[in-house]
Amino acid sequence: MDWGQLWRITSTPDNVPIVALLFLIPFYTWYGLRQAFANDKLIEELEKNPEMTKTHHRKTLPWKPGWAQEVHVWPFLLRVEFLAAIIVTVILMVWSITLNAPLEEPSNPTLTMNPSKAPWYFLGLQEMLVYFDPWMAGVVLPSLIIVGMMAIPYFDTNPLGNGYYTYKQRKFAILTFCFGFLVLWISMIVIGTFIRGPGWVWFWPGQTWDHNIVVYQPNKDLPDFFGITNAWGKAVIGLAFLGGFGAVTGGAIHKWIMSDDFSKKVYQKMSLLQYATLQFFLITMMLLPVKMILRLTLNFKYILVTPWLNL
Amino acid sequence: MPEETRPDVGNESERDPITGSSLSFPYMISAVLLMASLGWALYDEYYATRPWKDYQHRFVAVYSSWLKKNLPKQDSAEKAVKNSDTYKKLQAALDAADKAAGPDFDRINKELALLATRKSVVDDWFQSRRGELGAKVYDMENAGSQSSHDSQAAAIQKFKDEILTKTVPLENGQGEEKLSYNYDQMEKEYNRLKDRKNDLLSQQAALLRPSSEARKRRDDYMADQLVGLTRQQMQGLIDKMDHFDFDIKQINVPEGNLVDRCESCHVGTREPVVLTRRDVGPLSKDGKSGVEDGSRAFTTHPNLELLKIHNPDRFGCSPCHGGNGRATSSVEKAHGKNEHWLYPMYSPANREAGCNQCHSSDLVVRLAPTLSGGKELFRWRGCMGCHRMEGFDAEPERLFNITQQIKALETDKADAFRNASRMEKQADSMSGNAAAKMNQTAQNMRVSMSRVDSRIEELDTESKNLLQELKKVGPSLKEVRMKLRKEWIPVWIENPQHFRPGAKMPTFRLEPDEVKAISAFIWQSGVQGPMDNATGGDPAHGKDLFETRGCMACHSMGEDADKVGGYFAANLTREGEKTNINYLVRWIHNPRQRTLPYSPTLHRDITPADYQAKNMPFVFDLDHTKSPVDGHEMQVEQQTIMPNLRLNMGEVRDIAAYLMTKKRPDAETAKIYKDASYMDDPKLKAQGLKLVRNYGCAGCHEIAGMEDESRIGTELTNEGSKPIERLDFALLTRDAEDGVEVLGPNKGKDVAPWYSQKGFFERKLAEPNLFDQGKTKTHLEQLKMPNFNLDKTDIRQLTTFLLGSVDPTMPPSFFYKPADQRHDIQEGWWIIKKYNCQGCHVVEIGQHSILMDLPKYQDPDWKEQLPPMITNEGARVSPDWLVRFLKNPSLAAGHGEAENDKDGVRSYLKVRMPTFYLSDNEVRKLVRFFAAVSYQPEPYIQAKVEPLTPAEQAMARALFTSKEAPCLKCHATGVPAHDAKATAPNFLLAKERLKPGWTDRWLLNPALISPGTSMPSGLFKREGDRWVFNGQTPPSFNGYTGDHAELLVRYMFTLTPDEQRRLVGAGGGGGTR
Repeated sequence: MDWGQLWRITSTPDNVPIVALLFLIPFYTWYGLRQAFANDKLIEELEKNPEMTKTHHRKTLPWKPGWAQEVHVWPFLLRVEFLAAIIVTVILMVWSITLNAPLEEPSNPTLTMNPSKAPWYFLGLQEMLVYFDPWMAGVVLPSLIIVGMMAIPYFDTNPLGNGYYTYKQRKFAILTFCFGFLVLWISMIVIGTFIRGPGWVWFWPGQTWDHNIVVYQPNKDLPDFFGITNAWGKAVIGLAFLGGFGAVTGGAIHKWIMSDDFSKKVYQKMSLLQYATLQFFLITMMLLPVKMILRLTLNFKYILVTPWLNL
Repeated sequence: MPEETRPDVGNESERDPITGSSLSFPYMISAVLLMASLGWALYDEYYATRPWKDYQHRFVAVYSSWLKKNLPKQDSAEKAVKNSDTYKKLQAALDAADKAAGPDFDRINKELALLATRKSVVDDWFQSRRGELGAKVYDMENAGSQSSHDSQAAAIQKFKDEILTKTVPLENGQGEEKLSYNYDQMEKEYNRLKDRKNDLLSQQAALLRPSSEARKRRDDYMADQLVGLTRQQMQGLIDKMDHFDFDIKQINVPEGNLVDRCESCHVGTREPVVLTRRDVGPLSKDGKSGVEDGSRAFTTHPNLELLKIHNPDRFGCSPCHGGNGRATSSVEKAHGKNEHWLYPMYSPANREAGCNQCHSSDLVVRLAPTLSGGKELFRWRGCMGCHRMEGFDAEPERLFNITQQIKALETDKADAFRNASRMEKQADSMSGNAAAKMNQTAQNMRVSMSRVDSRIEELDTESKNLLQELKKVGPSLKEVRMKLRKEWIPVWIENPQHFRPGAKMPTFRLEPDEVKAISAFIWQSGVQGPMDNATGGDPAHGKDLFETRGCMACHSMGEDADKVGGYFAANLTREGEKTNINYLVRWIHNPRQRTLPYSPTLHRDITPADYQAKNMPFVFDLDHTKSPVDGHEMQVEQQTIMPNLRLNMGEVRDIAAYLMTKKRPDAETAKIYKDASYMDDPKLKAQGLKLVRNYGCAGCHEIAGMEDESRIGTELTNEGSKPIERLDFALLTRDAEDGVEVLGPNKGKDVAPWYSQKGFFERKLAEPNLFDQGKTKTHLEQLKMPNFNLDKTDIRQLTTFLLGSVDPTMPPSFFYKPADQRHDIQEGWWIIKKYNCQGCHVVEIGQHSILMDLPKYQDPDWKEQLPPMITNEGARVSPDWLVRFLKNPSLAAGHGEAENDKDGVRSYLKVRMPTFYLSDNEVRKLVRFFAAVSYQPEPYIQAKVEPLTPAEQAMARALFTSKEAPCLKCHATGVPAHDAKATAPNFLLAKERLKPGWTDRWLLNPALISPGTSMPSGLFKREGDRWVFNGQTPPSFNGYTGDHAELLVRYMFTLTPDEQRRLVGAGGGGGTR
């Protein structure tokens, strides 16, 4: 266990946001979910007792009789936000005084730094380059992330959950977000920061980052597993695999949606186009974890191998 | 929230937590924190990131108190000077001059004051008018049309003719007058007043001249007498400290894109006093020996001579010292010790590395002994055999370039001739003018090509020179079969240190099989040739010769504590164990003699058969250098530095016989030198060739078939700026970063982190295979660099040189590439060091030669036997003569052995100036070097010496041979009986050899030019504006008004052999002693 190495990584000024993120993200996830579960309980009570719904519109806990049904934005919201702004200002000032901008050596085209890492907020994208072709990881997937998020309002037909935390009424949305953001985005940043060392080699935490490390990881394409060398054969097996993957994943997602009455109701409100779009983005998103697992366990490189594009 | 909508008013426990709670307390806390962080930010901005402010405050305090402490001391010293008679006299003269100038000075001052009142009014009046006119003229010049131009010109004329009136004070101060002037009149008056003022001022200056001269005399006297500053100057410094500007002190050199703020903390660097650490900073922790709140940063620059040459306003600080000149926020950053800064400040031990960026073409950098030492080690130990380093061992590359140039020129020439013929043919089909023109062009083309021939000739000469200059660090291995005892070779190769402790050859980490294979290869690739017979030497006489002829300026004898002699060449204590005496005789007789010449164009040795094929005699030497096969230049010499001492065969045999006695007892050596019959195994030869190539043996040795091998090591020209990532610390990276020592007595202990260029170089030099540690490699894959057995000083010097070998950060205009005579000095040092001139001669003032420090030469009688000091050689001798002397120090006309077996100038010395067979190029560089060092103008034009009248000749002869100046007592004459006791050169050489001016100065004070010379000083005394003989002058001198020394010089320069023979025959001077 190389504590010095671990300390070197965590104490780098560049990595301060990521170390903070390690604690802040779980805390706020827990904090938000706690409120959501509490509210769910209240909603249940309110639904059971029609009398109460007449006097209480606030679907948030804790709740006591006699409390205001609604509060104004000014001053009650803004004063809290302003307080938060002050506290963040203090934190930023202290941060900027104590830690200087981490300058590195002047750029030298003949000598690139190793490991050469993107700014922390892009480390997830950089990590994706390990699993996909550059045009896929660098162009197609980021674009799909943005387009997908822009499309959410158009296929989200669930009207509930506005203005209060709830899990029950937005279970599908919350779980999909948690998977996409926490598992696929945050964990990739963490991997990029703490796990990827010189040569972008996988170092477990506490393992020394040796610049002279030698690893043996011959990557194989899907056709190689079956010994297919023919170009047509490669394309066919790749497409078949992708088709199979799409069908299996899509079916599983559909089954999961149908397993729950609430989700089912929401599903029934959707048009075919809305549902198809949703399925497309979900299947594409699932490509990443599947590819990651294949790469990390089987040194799997490409599924689809053609002279024009690899996937 | 309106009160009435709250049903639970008055019930505290049921109050709404959002609408009913106050955030005052969190707000207060946050506000306090915000203000505190703001305060912190301000403090950080003003003090924490500007530590230089604190330094400046402390410096002002420390320096002021130092100045105040020293003021009384300087004051009393100054008073002592002021009380001296001379000063008083000078002061009186000044007062008198002031007084004399006084009345007129006052009068002029008054006139000036009165003039000024009138002038200021007239100036304002005229200048405002002139400004207006200027604007009008501009408009006219830029007028859009001719008519507009004309109308404006008319307006201007009108403007100038307008008459204005102004009341102006009179010049004599008595009232005012009214002036009515047009523009021209105004201008005239304005100019008149200006002239008048200048006139008065120059009158005043003339009046003050005597007094200002007297003041300068007084102040000069004060400056000469007083050590340090005057009271007034000290007071000035105190005042400066009282009004100190606390700000960033910055040197800005735009030409070098240089901004150095070092003096923001190192405030005292350029103060006009000497501040040592003791004056300004704590030396010990108890605080007793230093100054409170002082700092080592406050001293003045410790080397003022260096600073004077390199004015910081022009060179800044960081180009020499390294570090980050712009940084001011912490000591660490300013010194460039933070991570990723490419130019950290050099550590004290390697400080001189900073010189090399600009002084990379100098081999000897004055004032930088460590760096110079490193460069000399690099050259002498032959590092450039494997590692290319710009400037070192440049001959092979230049030779290659010249060959290419010759080829290109020959092609050009052929092309031009072809074109010319083509043009002429074209001209045939043309007529009239065009044809003539074409023919003319063709002819011009041919004629211009004739100049190319002279260029080719010059390049040929240059390549001959280069072949002569090419030297190898180690001996030729082509001749091992003739030279060496066979069994000795593997013993030597295995570890040269075992046979000869301190050997120049490094230790390779060879396995026994490798030693065998390499020995076999070397042995089998050796050549055979005729050798002299070496019977009948006298070892005792040989020992004497070895110790007196000058061998020991380079070679040493004896081991450990008994070791005596030079470091430059091999220690010969065990020479008898390794050498074949016949070869040794040939070697001592002429080390440059080769068995076979080598042709660089054919890449092989030329054999007698080649000569026979062309029906030519097998003769090759420096006069016969062209190959019989292709007519190109050949290598006809051994590539060794060792010169020819021009010894006769008898002496050579004696020395060889002596050297053959230098060995360990046979009983002992029999155990060491085992049977080596395997060296004749042809199978081993191929294996050996591979190894010899792998280990780069041809970098230092001439080896048959490997003359054109390239260097095997990495280029080191810019090694100092190699990124640290490119230096392979291998498995020791972590130890280097964490500061764990891996070498020497501290191995395993914590030291300062050494993950730096310095850390790498030092450890690599101490143990070249260090970074193989823990690696799994086959033997041939392992690091090849052999161990040079360097000591700590060597490593420090080499590290300094390597750290300084950088990719320059400054523009080339900063480099030391002088175009004047200093360039000759730069070049000359390479030759001086190459041939170890300093082994025998004192070349640089203050330097010791090897010979003069040998025990033998401590005896006064032997001191006279030392070779001459040549610090002043350029002023002493004529360059034409020096060229001849350097080419052949015997000055003999022919090549005969007997006539060359002597020294041309100092035949009386036992030690001998050898023949170095310098190339014309090297001779030229050396002669120019000596001229430049002595500030001699170039080109040299011989000074004219006035011939003597018969009367003068008689007088001079009388003085020359008088009892009190018996010149011929010591000076050689060429008469053997007389010269047996001579200790100075023959006068007959003077005319050709010496410069009259120098000879005159030499006669007057020889000890000043060459301390310790046996030539007596004080022969002449000053009388009026001439020098006269300091003793009884011969009677004929009565009434002579000329300079006696000059007369003697003229006599020497006109002395004829006949005259000298007569004088010797007559027992002139001390000849009869």
